[in-house]
Amino acid sequence: MTEEEIWGQLTEVFRDVFADDGLEIHSETTAEDIEDWDSLTNVQLLIAIEKSFAGMKFNTGEVANLENVGQMVALIQERLAR
Amino acid sequence: MALKWQGDIGMATTDQTGSNTQLLQEILKKARATDDFSTFMSLCRQRKKITADLPDAAVRDPLRIAILGGATTDFLELPLKLELETLGCTSTITCADYNNFVAEMMDATSQTARFKPDVAVLLVNPFNVADWPAPGESAETVDSMADQLADHWLGLCQSFHTHASCDIILGNLHLLPVRSAGNLGAKLPWEPNSFLRRVNAALSRKAPGFVHIFDIETLSAIHGVSNWFDARFWYHAKQPVSFDCLVPFVRNLASIIGALYGHTAKCLVLDLDNTLWGGVVGDDGIGGIKIGEGDAEGEAFKAFQEYILSLKNRGLLLAVSSKNEEANALEPFEQLPDMVLKRDDFVAFKANWEPKPLAIEQIAQELNIGLNSLVFVDDNPAERELVRQSLPEVNVLELSDDPADYPRLLDRCGWIETVKLTDEDMKKTDQYRQNIERDTLQAQHTDYDSYLESLSQRAVVRAFEPKHLNRITQLINKTNQFNLTTQRLTRSEVESLMNREDVLTAYIRLADRFGDNGLISVFSAHIEDDVLNIDLWLMSCRVLKRGVERLLANHIFEQAKSLNIRLVRGVYIPTAKNKMVEKLFEELGFRSAGEGDNGAEYWEMQVKDYEPEPVQISMGADEDL
Repeated sequence: MTEEEIWGQLTEVFRDVFADDGLEIHSETTAEDIEDWDSLTNVQLLIAIEKSFAGMKFNTGEVANLENVGQMVALIQERLAR
Repeated sequence: MALKWQGDIGMATTDQTGSNTQLLQEILKKARATDDFSTFMSLCRQRKKITADLPDAAVRDPLRIAILGGATTDFLELPLKLELETLGCTSTITCADYNNFVAEMMDATSQTARFKPDVAVLLVNPFNVADWPAPGESAETVDSMADQLADHWLGLCQSFHTHASCDIILGNLHLLPVRSAGNLGAKLPWEPNSFLRRVNAALSRKAPGFVHIFDIETLSAIHGVSNWFDARFWYHAKQPVSFDCLVPFVRNLASIIGALYGHTAKCLVLDLDNTLWGGVVGDDGIGGIKIGEGDAEGEAFKAFQEYILSLKNRGLLLAVSSKNEEANALEPFEQLPDMVLKRDDFVAFKANWEPKPLAIEQIAQELNIGLNSLVFVDDNPAERELVRQSLPEVNVLELSDDPADYPRLLDRCGWIETVKLTDEDMKKTDQYRQNIERDTLQAQHTDYDSYLESLSQRAVVRAFEPKHLNRITQLINKTNQFNLTTQRLTRSEVESLMNREDVLTAYIRLADRFGDNGLISVFSAHIEDDVLNIDLWLMSCRVLKRGVERLLANHIFEQAKSLNIRLVRGVYIPTAKNKMVEKLFEELGFRSAGEGDNGAEYWEMQVKDYEPEPVQISMGADEDL
């Protein structure tokens, strides 16, 4: 899976979770930038990512609040590479 | 500036509210149909976004719900709200801080107590158990520890009930997904899961009437404890239930709350071909349809009939709506011994070629219940869609193409939850069937009075009594049509009415030559100086046109006279369903006394002006019924 494909799929997940079809995300996007992104939606995001990227399961250590979307993509890449 | 633009904004809002009302219906329909957490959460968010643009009616008189627990509960707010809305309840929900429930429930001035909830939900989980039995502890000691823990939690409920006088829903404990003593644990009283089971048993045994158990032990077993509990999110966010099981969790919680407030179904309307048996009886003949032992599908249909019978036995009414020749539709019931359900189990039987929405409306009319009290069960997706579109109030069950799924699908829908069973529930089908026999008798009498006389009606009229609290509360919350004020009350509120000196209460039980109709009418009024103000007046539609309302009026004025009351004041608050009583006060001779908010109409009558009218009901004692 290319990084571009990951971005595409992740954007879909974000749009779905935040019910916003026009939502755009970037490497620097943080919880500050999206109104509904709180600790609750953060957990929902992780679950939605696990569902979207088949077979992915974050371990307890990774379920921490990631600082921005860039780190999220990096984590997904790393997990896919394993 | 607001004024200047009012016209434009008004127009825009009207369009917006219209399309949003439609959007809301779409969201609710999708929410009912899904078990998937992601889909459900995105519906929650869509729902939240349109809130501001909905007409006021959509947010009127919200139920106030407080959630407390030894876990994070914030995440339940939106899903619970949406799930309640699918049942027809709007709500305002507050969530107490994590693990702060002891203080919140003991302190009469706590934030949660000041919120004045209608319902409080206490969610505890195995992590809230401080003292576990030591290995080797005896069964007696373990039982007494379990009792102590149950007493502690129920004591908090009692204390909060004293402050807030609300109903309380207490979630019991799920078992642990690990077993420290393996399978041997099943024989060891001190083993953690053995202990948790004993705590749950103690909670069930000791819970008072105002505490309703949310049976998480069974619900988590249905879904599998390892699916129910996701340890990662407990460690991170103190979340007590996994997201995979969030939808069943809130659906169950919502259905208990819905049942407390009468948002629960009273009747299942069932299709026959490929719903109660396999095949089409009109084509395949009774020898060709699948029902009962010897055929796998036949066994699945039989199991579905057994589940339906168990629902009927606890008070749900059954009706048939089938596109069939009536003779063909009746044949399996009459001739096949493997049919678990018999013709007599149904209070209405519509087998014809009319469109099903018509049959369903007739059933609702005959039984005198609202369309939203019906659940329609049909294997044919086209029939389901037709009913959904023509009668949006009817609860339409989504079925799969496998009869082995049917019981589970009906079980999980949350529309048939009930918070208490009364003796009336257990006898209900008989009562409705007796009604049908009464109608036949009526047809033989040309003169209605002579018909009433032939019924030999006996009634008991009394002030509320503790032994009837359950039934009285149930009637208050379920009755929509013959209900002058449609004021809903919890059991605790009814109990407090019973104990007030300035309140006059009455219930009526009615029997006739066909049987006991049970407790069918409820009345309550408060006295202010020399005026009696009617707060509640309702009656089950099973006993319409039998003279019961006149009997009650006679009783009220007789009581009023003995209490030196000068004036009786009544109010009719119109709703979508209670048109049948709009003229009640007028018919009894009351004079109009103006209108209030919500179209409320006030009526008055001087006690000295009331002329009692005879009724064809004899007054008796309990043992005469």
